[in-house]
Amino acid sequence: MSGLLSLGSRAMFANQTALQTVSQNISNANTAGYSRQSAVLTTAPGQYTGAGFMGRGVDVRTIERSHNEFLTREAFTSKSAASADTTRAEQLTRLEKIFPPGNDGLGHAASQFLNSLMDVASRPTDPSARQVVLGQASQLAANFAGVGARLADLQAGIASDMQAEVAVVNQLAQQIASVNDKISKVQGSGHTPNDLLDQRDQLVSKLSEHIAVTTLPADDGTLGVFIGGGQRLVLGSSAATLTVAADNYDPQRAVLALSEGKLKRPLDENVLTGGSMSALLQFQNKDLQDARNMVGQLAAALGTRVNAQNALGLDLSNPPGAGAPLFNVAAPRVLPASSNQRNPDGSFTNGVQATIVDASQLLASSYRLSTGAAPGTYQLTRLSDGLVRTVASGSTVDGFKIGFSPAPPVAGESYVIEPVGAAAAGMRRVLDNPVGIAAASPVTAVAATNNAGTATVDSIYAVNGSFSAANLPIALAFGGPDPANPANLTYTLTLPSGATLNGVWAAGKPIGNQPAAGINLGFELRLNGVPRTGDTLAIAATRFPNANNGNAKAFLNIQAEAFVGQRLQPDGSLGAGTTVNDAYAGDVSEIGARVQGANYLSGTSTRVAADAEAGRSSQAGVNLDEEASRLIQYQQAYQASAKVLQTAQTLFDELLRIAAR
Amino acid sequence: MRIATANLYDASIANLQNRQTALQTQQQQLTSGKRVASAGDDPIGAARAERAQTVIDRVDANQRAIEASRNSMTLAESALGDAGQLLQQARETMVAAGNATYTDAERLGLAGKLQGIRDQLLSIANRPDGSGGYLFAGQGSNNPPFLDQVGGVSFVGTPGTIQTGSLGNFQLTVDGRATWEQARSGNGFFVTDAGANSVTGAPAQGWIDPGSVTNPAQLTGQNYRIGIAGTAPAQTYSVTNTTTGAAVTGGAFKAGQSIQFDGMAVTINGAPVNGDNFSIAPATNSLKAFDVLDKAISELKVPLRSGNQIAQSNSNRLRDLDAVLGNMQSARSQVGEKLGSLDGTENRLSGLKLYSKQEKSAAEDIDMVQAISNFQNQQTGYETALKTYAMVQRMSLFQFING
Repeated sequence: MSGLLSLGSRAMFANQTALQTVSQNISNANTAGYSRQSAVLTTAPGQYTGAGFMGRGVDVRTIERSHNEFLTREAFTSKSAASADTTRAEQLTRLEKIFPPGNDGLGHAASQFLNSLMDVASRPTDPSARQVVLGQASQLAANFAGVGARLADLQAGIASDMQAEVAVVNQLAQQIASVNDKISKVQGSGHTPNDLLDQRDQLVSKLSEHIAVTTLPADDGTLGVFIGGGQRLVLGSSAATLTVAADNYDPQRAVLALSEGKLKRPLDENVLTGGSMSALLQFQNKDLQDARNMVGQLAAALGTRVNAQNALGLDLSNPPGAGAPLFNVAAPRVLPASSNQRNPDGSFTNGVQATIVDASQLLASSYRLSTGAAPGTYQLTRLSDGLVRTVASGSTVDGFKIGFSPAPPVAGESYVIEPVGAAAAGMRRVLDNPVGIAAASPVTAVAATNNAGTATVDSIYAVNGSFSAANLPIALAFGGPDPANPANLTYTLTLPSGATLNGVWAAGKPIGNQPAAGINLGFELRLNGVPRTGDTLAIAATRFPNANNGNAKAFLNIQAEAFVGQRLQPDGSLGAGTTVNDAYAGDVSEIGARVQGANYLSGTSTRVAADAEAGRSSQAGVNLDEEASRLIQYQQAYQASAKVLQTAQTLFDELLRIAAR
Repeated sequence: MRIATANLYDASIANLQNRQTALQTQQQQLTSGKRVASAGDDPIGAARAERAQTVIDRVDANQRAIEASRNSMTLAESALGDAGQLLQQARETMVAAGNATYTDAERLGLAGKLQGIRDQLLSIANRPDGSGGYLFAGQGSNNPPFLDQVGGVSFVGTPGTIQTGSLGNFQLTVDGRATWEQARSGNGFFVTDAGANSVTGAPAQGWIDPGSVTNPAQLTGQNYRIGIAGTAPAQTYSVTNTTTGAAVTGGAFKAGQSIQFDGMAVTINGAPVNGDNFSIAPATNSLKAFDVLDKAISELKVPLRSGNQIAQSNSNRLRDLDAVLGNMQSARSQVGEKLGSLDGTENRLSGLKLYSKQEKSAAEDIDMVQAISNFQNQQTGYETALKTYAMVQRMSLFQFING
């Protein structure tokens, strides 16, 4: 009888426990990170009697959580990758807004500026056309500076995002450490602390959204959390602290460092393989840097080209002079490593300078200068493609020249050189007077009255620094047909010194700038029509710069000139660059392609993460229909157990009734 | 496979959000008409559109340049038309001055008329272009390009023309020197004139016509002198090449009969006397309109001239005026031709602009038919998703457990 009672009460207890876990599951159906729990029921060992083993009912052995280590790990790892890809896509979308195509873009502003010179060419005497050029110039400069400022804003945003993320990561690491502590304390009880384990898994999962982690369970039930390929973040009940530090070269940039006690160890971005922080760092160091260099290359090349063309013309000042610069082109930035040698007063002992020699050869890249194996040798790494070159003081590389002052760097020192990094942000219009626009060519050609041919002057303007007014006037006389090609005509240029230069004229070929043929006078004269033997032209200084538009026409040609990013070929010649508009179109599509790629990656990895999460939750999550049926199942079992008790009581009552007689 | 209820909700919500985002993107594209709002939508398309935009901007600027050129050329054309009419009047005046019955006083009156024409012509030559420059300034001039000074009117600008434009050359000025100062002298090949009598120093008693070319292949381009010797009717002429010093030809002279040598034919009229001589020089591009008029005016003002002198001067000035007029007309037709080619260029540029616009549109604009069809597809999809979501979420075992 007592056996029956005990059986019934144990069964009731067990089913009640099961019902309780079902209720717990139903309660936490929507709790993030909750793992479904179930009561593990076992048959109590039977009691030996003369009639064999008598069952003694049911035992609740433990409450276990439905959990799969592999699925959990996969879920948080894929979440880490998805978080990184999404963050990068978000940042790139912001970057993309800075490079809009069409009327809001830099390409359009550059077009507008160069095209505004068309009106000066059409009305060289009209001051309002010059005023419009100045207006367009400041528009263009403001556009460049605006892009530079917005890139700087993005950089600042990344630094502050990093600060916020680091605070979250540190807090999560602390919490994991404290949960570890609690878990290790109940480790000896023989039961798993399901809710604590869920909490810890949830914390790790949250952590991996920010930074990719690897985990390693220890024997005492604690979980070691490592970042960046084995750097300890949480071990047992102690957590290290992440901090945001300034970059070794550029204090504007953020790097991650792990501090242990007083020691700060910087973390290389390349070892962080996932999480939003790694995406931020990667965006900062790659995409943002590339964008800054691309727009800087454009600003430096265009600004320098325009300034050079203005300097080749004559302005309207009295007396007319070479045009002053229109734009301020920022000098290259040289960033010494903070670890370089310093003087007692804190200044750097050694230094590196970079100066632009030929802006059209500048590439959209940063460079790192480091000391070579042998003392006194230096290596320059182009960071965009990793090309390493040996350089010395005075070397010219990709359009800029390296100098060492006050003293050459010594072993162990390194510098980052950004030839164009600051060019966009520093772009300003510096010419304020419309008189300063040098629309006039300093040189004019006049065909002689009695020329028999039909040649007239199409255009004549200075093209490079070889032009000198001291070489004027020049008499150009056409001779007989070129023996090599009778369609062409020989000509002679007679300089004031009496020196003569001989060349060959071919239709469409300019006269005056053929260094290969020994004619290097720095101007280009183009003819319409065909000259005849004996025809002459007088090339002289321009007498009326206010009505001349030769240099304005030269400005117009800038738009079609492929002067951006000309690479020096191994044979010493200059490779073709791109026009300013094509360069911008290239930049736009480059960034657009990155956005597209990042969006695609983010979509894919988000789906993978969602699948992994579905897999994890199919194991660990609560299905309410299942719980409903379990509820009925255990409710009925409970009712049945109660029936057992009732039966026992009925039996007891029956016994009492019999005994009472 | 078990489905966790919370995950089911999450996944459904994520799907609904995705569909909503896609629907919104499609709707944005439909309202803006642009398939490429930012470069990430289609990097290649964005670059293509960017390049097409550059061409459009450039064409716009060139169309402005064409307008400027057309403005100048139209003004120049009308100025040259006015000048042509005035020169025509001057020519009529000169023809009238040849009237043998006119007295010196009447010729002085004609000189005054020519003076008026000359002054009008000068103001035409210095006509401004309306934007601070001058129509005939050539490659530039600070002030009016024609300066009326001692020794006559001269061009003080830089000869030549200036052009504008980058997709073509659109002329802005007319070469003042070529138009006003570079008429071909003489008859286009050589210039005839009467010299002073080599014996008496008096003006020649005969006058020489402008001459004509009989055989272009024989022209030498050298200087000649025709001397008359003896007294009529037994006069002889001798032709000397003064460049080489060689005697060319000679023979009996009869007034009004042409003298032919070295591919040229000239006629000496009137009654030349012994020692009269006439020069023949190669033509040059040096005849200045104002010089011709000034010379005509000053000659008409000279009193007591002989009939031969008057005839010689009238013949020469008419010849010169014709040359100037011809030069002016050729300049006018050149300007007219520029105006015509401007129209052609403008058509070409409009075509280029249209093409670039189509290119830009093809690169970045939306295909409305396809977009609307996509939109409706997505709309249907979204509706279905919402409906099924509502239906599926209503199903739960708890619905069926009563009590």
